[in-house]
Amino acid sequence: MTMKDASIDDLIDGLADDLTPVRPRRVMGGSLWVAAGWLGAGAVLVWLFGMRPDLAGGVMPPLSMLAFWLVAATGVAAAWSALRMGLPGVGRDYGGWRWAVGALLALPLAALFVFFGDAHAHTEAARRGFDVHCLLQGIVSGLGVGAALFLWLRAGAPTSPTRAGWVIGVAAGAAGASIIALLCSSDDLVHITLWHASAVPVSAIAGRLILPRFLRW
Amino acid sequence: MSIDEPSLARLMAASQRGDRAAYRTLLGDSRKWLTRYFARRIAPHHIDDLVQETLVSMHRKLATWDSGRAFLPWLAAIARYRWIDMLRRQRDEAELGDNDAAVSAEDEAVHAKLSIDHLLTLLPPGQAQAITLVKIEGASIAEASQISGQSESLVKVNIHRGLKKLAELIESE
Repeated sequence: MTMKDASIDDLIDGLADDLTPVRPRRVMGGSLWVAAGWLGAGAVLVWLFGMRPDLAGGVMPPLSMLAFWLVAATGVAAAWSALRMGLPGVGRDYGGWRWAVGALLALPLAALFVFFGDAHAHTEAARRGFDVHCLLQGIVSGLGVGAALFLWLRAGAPTSPTRAGWVIGVAAGAAGASIIALLCSSDDLVHITLWHASAVPVSAIAGRLILPRFLRW
Repeated sequence: MSIDEPSLARLMAASQRGDRAAYRTLLGDSRKWLTRYFARRIAPHHIDDLVQETLVSMHRKLATWDSGRAFLPWLAAIARYRWIDMLRRQRDEAELGDNDAAVSAEDEAVHAKLSIDHLLTLLPPGQAQAITLVKIEGASIAEASQISGQSESLVKVNIHRGLKKLAELIESE
């Protein structure tokens, strides 16, 4: 028996002696935390800034509603992919979020057509609605979902921390954008794309730059 | 003992409940499986280190196995992660070596005999040649430079970039 063999035997003995029962991590358990982060941040933001007047009256304009469901679906898909990344397995597919992000590109594409179709009016609208605070609120209100996913993946075993950073960012940004859709009463597609949906790429880049180093194990 | 999926999954489920005897058996079987797995991927003198690192990771991440899923894909995912991590560390060592006057292959301790022929074909020829000469065949940077006609610094750069790209290719599998 070589020294290496002996040291692996010792290691196995040590690990076995160190064993304590563990509770298997379930994606459903993690998704409850994500839901809590989403709803909690939404409740705080609505409490602080108030719901948009038309929604408080029970009606949301079609365009805003469409954008809301689009970003919400992106958030759900990305959060689900991120949760699955915490439980590794060769051959598992973590790519569902890509389709939702692809669908979300409908917003900037449509906004471009609208913008160039009626440039003057929308330049005015964009100037009137230079609402960086919408974007900031969106990024901040995504932090609940971002934190829940980050903690889940830190305790889990993501095999591609870089991709996990991206996906956490997408989920957090989309969750934040969906919350802002409940607060901001603008029904302008250019405004919605620029100041609501932009939370998705901004958060995704932040997630990519900041998180991977903390997700390595 | 044959290493079959249903037995391993049963042992793993028992291990999660705290059964030490089952866990010891599982670790022994995993060790055999990992030794075979890494034999095709890394230089022989790195195999034991990688097996040990993977067993420790497996121990730390025991809760991330879902009993509704197969055991070996879970173990393989952890093994692959540790392998990529070792590739990265080798890359970083090569990078640190850039400041040295002469960096021998022995110093780097990275005779990476990676069975990655198909991956090497995906790299630019200069990078593939530098990695093959230095990491797989064990040539020194100077020798690789003479054989390939690349300057020594280009050999180092090509190894650095090539290993980085290899790690990305493996991750995206």
